Amino acid sequence: MSAPAETRRNGITGIWDRMLSEEWQLKVGLVLFILALAFPLIDGNEGDIDAAANATAFAILALGLNIVVGFAGLLDLGYAAFFAIGAYTYGIFSSYQVQPEWSSFWEPFRWLGLVQQLHSSSGVDHVHFAVSFWLMLPISALVAAFFGVLFGAPTLRLKGDYLAIVTLGFGEIVPIVARNTPYLTNGAQGLNGVTTPSFFGYSFGVQSTPFYYVGLAMIVVLIFVSMRLKDSRVGRAWMAIREDEIAAEAMGVNRTRLKLLAFAIGAGFAGSTGTFYVAKLQTATPEMFMFPVSVMLLVMIVLGGMGSVAGVVVGAVFLQLLQSWFLQDLTQGVHWLGRVTGIGLLERVDLVQSIELIFGIILVLMMLYRRQGLIPARRDVHALTLAQQTAVPSRGGIKGEMKPLHRKAIDPGKPLLQISGLRKAFGGIQAVRGLDLTVMPGSIIAVIGPNGSGKTTFFNLVTGLTQPDAGKVLLAGEDITGLKPDAIVERGVARTFQNLRLFANMSVMENALVGVHSRTTTGALGAVFRPPWVKREEEAARQHVLGVISIFGNRLMPRVQHLARTLSYANRRRLEITRALVTEPVLLLLDEPTAGMNPTETLELTDQIRDLRERGVTILLIEHKLNVVNEIADRVIVLDHGEKIAEGTPAEIQRNKEVLSAYLGRTAATAAAAS
Amino acid sequence: MNSWDILLQQIINGVSLGAMYSLLALGFTMVYGIIELINFAHFNVFMVGSFIALWLMQAMGIVGQSTILYGLPLIGVLVLVLVVTMLGAGVLGVAIERVALRPLRGVSGTAPMITTIGLSYIIYNLVLLNVGADTKNFSNPLPNIPWAIGGATLRLREVLLWGVSLVLMMGLHYFVRRTKMGKAMQATAQDQEAARMMGVDVDNVVVITFFLGSALAGAAGLIFGLYYNYTSFVIGYTAGLRAFTAAVLGGIGNIPGAMLGGILIGLIESLGGQYLEVRWTDVIIFSILVLVLVFRPSGLMGRTAPSKS
Repeated sequence: MSAPAETRRNGITGIWDRMLSEEWQLKVGLVLFILALAFPLIDGNEGDIDAAANATAFAILALGLNIVVGFAGLLDLGYAAFFAIGAYTYGIFSSYQVQPEWSSFWEPFRWLGLVQQLHSSSGVDHVHFAVSFWLMLPISALVAAFFGVLFGAPTLRLKGDYLAIVTLGFGEIVPIVARNTPYLTNGAQGLNGVTTPSFFGYSFGVQSTPFYYVGLAMIVVLIFVSMRLKDSRVGRAWMAIREDEIAAEAMGVNRTRLKLLAFAIGAGFAGSTGTFYVAKLQTATPEMFMFPVSVMLLVMIVLGGMGSVAGVVVGAVFLQLLQSWFLQDLTQGVHWLGRVTGIGLLERVDLVQSIELIFGIILVLMMLYRRQGLIPARRDVHALTLAQQTAVPSRGGIKGEMKPLHRKAIDPGKPLLQISGLRKAFGGIQAVRGLDLTVMPGSIIAVIGPNGSGKTTFFNLVTGLTQPDAGKVLLAGEDITGLKPDAIVERGVARTFQNLRLFANMSVMENALVGVHSRTTTGALGAVFRPPWVKREEEAARQHVLGVISIFGNRLMPRVQHLARTLSYANRRRLEITRALVTEPVLLLLDEPTAGMNPTETLELTDQIRDLRERGVTILLIEHKLNVVNEIADRVIVLDHGEKIAEGTPAEIQRNKEVLSAYLGRTAATAAAAS
Repeated sequence: MNSWDILLQQIINGVSLGAMYSLLALGFTMVYGIIELINFAHFNVFMVGSFIALWLMQAMGIVGQSTILYGLPLIGVLVLVLVVTMLGAGVLGVAIERVALRPLRGVSGTAPMITTIGLSYIIYNLVLLNVGADTKNFSNPLPNIPWAIGGATLRLREVLLWGVSLVLMMGLHYFVRRTKMGKAMQATAQDQEAARMMGVDVDNVVVITFFLGSALAGAAGLIFGLYYNYTSFVIGYTAGLRAFTAAVLGGIGNIPGAMLGGILIGLIESLGGQYLEVRWTDVIIFSILVLVLVFRPSGLMGRTAPSKS
C-alpha cells in the first residue's frame, strides 16, 4: 500500500531536484537579484525596506557560517561572537563611548581623519573616535579573523560535537565580557550614538535604503567568494577534511592550517557584518549577539543545505520573510481559527513570538527527513548504462604515454627508504618492534604476515599517521621520522588504506584533485581572484588527474563526475590508488590493493602495479593474495608479532620454515616441509 | 559573620547547587557514554521537570510558601512529587529518544546533536506558550528550620536536598554496577556492536538510559524550585550549560566524574560569586568548559579521550 505514496514523494522530489539544476539556479538567481535590486523602488514602505536591510545582515552571516560549517564541516555554535567582535570594534571606534584626554599623541590620527578633538568648557579636551565606516568594514573583518585564529588555534583539533561545545562556550563568553566592561561597551544599556556612514558626503542617517544596498552588495561579494572558494584547491581541501580528516592529511592537506583558514574567513565576514549591522542600528547591546543568533544562522544553513551556496541564500531569505512578513498574516489566520473553534491557545498564540518554535521544528524535520537541505550541495549523477560501461574495452596494463609520475630525481644506486629500529607499542601490545628495512629504488616489496602482525601499523609509522616510539625512517637519505603526514606526502610518499578512506561525498575528480593539493599552491586569495596562473595550475592539475585515471582504462574515466560513494568496491580501490598517484610519489604504499577484487580484476591490477614500477615508482605493498605477491614482488618481507621474521625473494620465502610456522603453526609447518 | 563563617556558608550553598548540577550532569554523561551524543534537549527536560513538580503541588493545594507541612504529610508529599516528577521527565526523555533520535542512530557527524538543539527549542517554546514568560512562584511546603553552625546557617531544605541527591546517585551507582541492565549499559558503552552480538538489546538500553538520565533531570528540576522558590521557562539553558560543564569537567561518560564535576561547579559558582564578582562567574565556568576540552578532554576522572569524530 505504501508503494504508490513512496513513488509520489520521489516524483515530487525529483521535479524539485530537476528544477534546481545548475542552469536553473543561475537563471533563478539572476531574476531574484534583479528583483532584490528593484525592491526598494517597488515597495515604498519604509518598514519593509528596513526589515529587508536588517535581513541582509543575517544572510551575510549565514553565508559566512556556511564556509565554516558547510565547507569545512566545523560546527560553530558561537559564530555570533565574531559578529559581536566586529560590531563592537566599529561601535567603539565611531562613537562617544571611549574618550581619552587629548594630547599631542592624537595629532597624527586627527590628521588622518580617524579622531576628532572635542573641546569642552572645563578646559580639558577629549578625543572622539570617528573612524570611517568604509575603513572599519575591512578592519573589523581583520580583528574578528584575528580572534578567530586566536580561539581556533588551540580548539580546532577537537572534533565534531566537542568543537561545537567549545565554540558555544566562546559564544557565551563574548557577550558577557561585553556586558561586564561598560567603560568600553556601555554594558547592558548598549552603545549609543554610533556614527552613521556617509558615502561621498551623502550621509546614510536613519534611512534604510542605502544600508539595504550595501548589504546586498556584501551578499553578492560573499556569494562570489563562496562559489570561487568551493571550486578551488582550498575548497576541495576543506571538503576533504569534512569528509575524512585522516585521509585528507594522508593526502597532503595540512588540516590545522586549512581549518584555521576557514575559521578566520568565516570570522572575518562576521566581523564586517557586525560593523554593518551596528552602523545601521546605531547601537550595540550584548543581547544582539547571544546563542539564539547562532542557532538562527544554523537553521538557515540546515534548511537550505549545508555547503550549498544557493541553498543558504534561499534558507536565509525564507526565514527572514517568515519572520517579518508571513508570520504576522498567519497569526491573524490562527487567531481567527481560535475564535471559530474556541481553542484558547490558538486565539492567544503569536506566531512571531513563536519563531523559535518554528526554528526548532525546522531543525528536527530537516534532520529527520532531508539532511542534505532543500537545495543540496551535491546531487547524484545518474548511473552509467550498460552500454556506457562497456564502451571502451581497453583494460589491462597502462596504455599510452604518461609523463613520469614523480618529479624528484632519485639516485638508483642509493637506498630509497631506510628504516632502522622502528618501534611502536599500544599499551602492552608491541605492534612493531625493532624493524629494520632497506628498500632500493624501482623495486616492489611485498609485506606479508598474519593478521595483527603489525603491517598496517608499519605503514602508519612510515606515513606519519602514527608516531614511532623509537627508530628512524630515512627517505632518500632525509630523516622523515615523526614528520606530519602532509609533510611526508610532500616529500614523495603516498599511500592507500586497507579499509578505503575516500571522500564519500566528493566526485571522483575532486577526490583525485585533493591528491594534487601538496603539489599546488593556490591560496584563498588566489582561489577568489583566480588570476591566470591559478587557472593554469587548475587546468594542469585536472589534466594530470585525467592522465593518472587513464591508467585504469575505462574503469574510472566515464565516472569522473560521480560521487565516490556511488562507486563499486573495486573502483573505490582504483580511485584510492589514483588519489595516491597524483601526489607524484617516489614511494607508494599500497595496503591490500586487491582486497575485494575478483581474479580478473586482480590480474589487471597486478599488471598495472608492475607498470607503475616501470614509470619509476617504488612500491611497498601489503597483500594477502600470495599469487599476487609471487607474481610481482622483487622481495618479500614477513612480519610476525611486529618483528621481521624473514626477508628474501618470493621463492626463498616460500621455503622458509619460520614463515611456514607463523602462518600454519609448527606442526603443520613440519608436515608441509616433510611432504 | 566573620570570614570563615562566610566561607562555610558559601561552601554549604555551593554543595547544594552542586548536588543539583550533579543530578543534571548525570543525564548528559550517561547518554554520552552510551551513544556519544551531546543532548541539548536535556536542558529543557530539567525545566519541564520543575514545572511538573509545580503543577503537582499546586494540584495538591500547596501554593507558594504559605502551606507548610511537617512530619509524615511532608515526607509523603515530597516522595509523591519526586516520584511523579521523575516519571514524567523520564517519559519525556524516552519520547525524545523514540521520536527524534532513534531514526538518526548511526548517522555520523553532527546531525543528531543538531536535532537535539531543535528539540530543545521546541520544548522551550511549547512551555513558554503554555505558561507565559513571567517567573513563577514555586510551591514549597518545607518548614524553614535553620541550624546555626558558627555564623553560618544550614537549613532543612539544604540537608534534604543533599540527602535526596545522595540517595538518587547511590541508587544509580548500584543500578549500573550491580544489576543485569546496568551491566548491559556498561557493555553497550564499551562497544555497542559487541554488546548486540552478546544478546544485549541495545535499543532497550538506550531507552533505559534516556529514562534514567531524564528522571534525574526531573529531580534536579524539583530541587531547583525548592531551592530558589521560583521557576521559569528560561532556567534550562544556564543551569543546563553549567551542568554540562560539570559533566565535561568530571570526564564525560564517567558517572562518578559527573557527581564530582557537579559539586566543583557548584562551589565555583558560590565561591566565585562571593570572592570575585557574580557577573564574572559564567565567564569562569565557560572558560573551564573551553580549557578542559582543549587541554584535558578526558576530564578529571575520565580515562580515555573522546574519540568520536
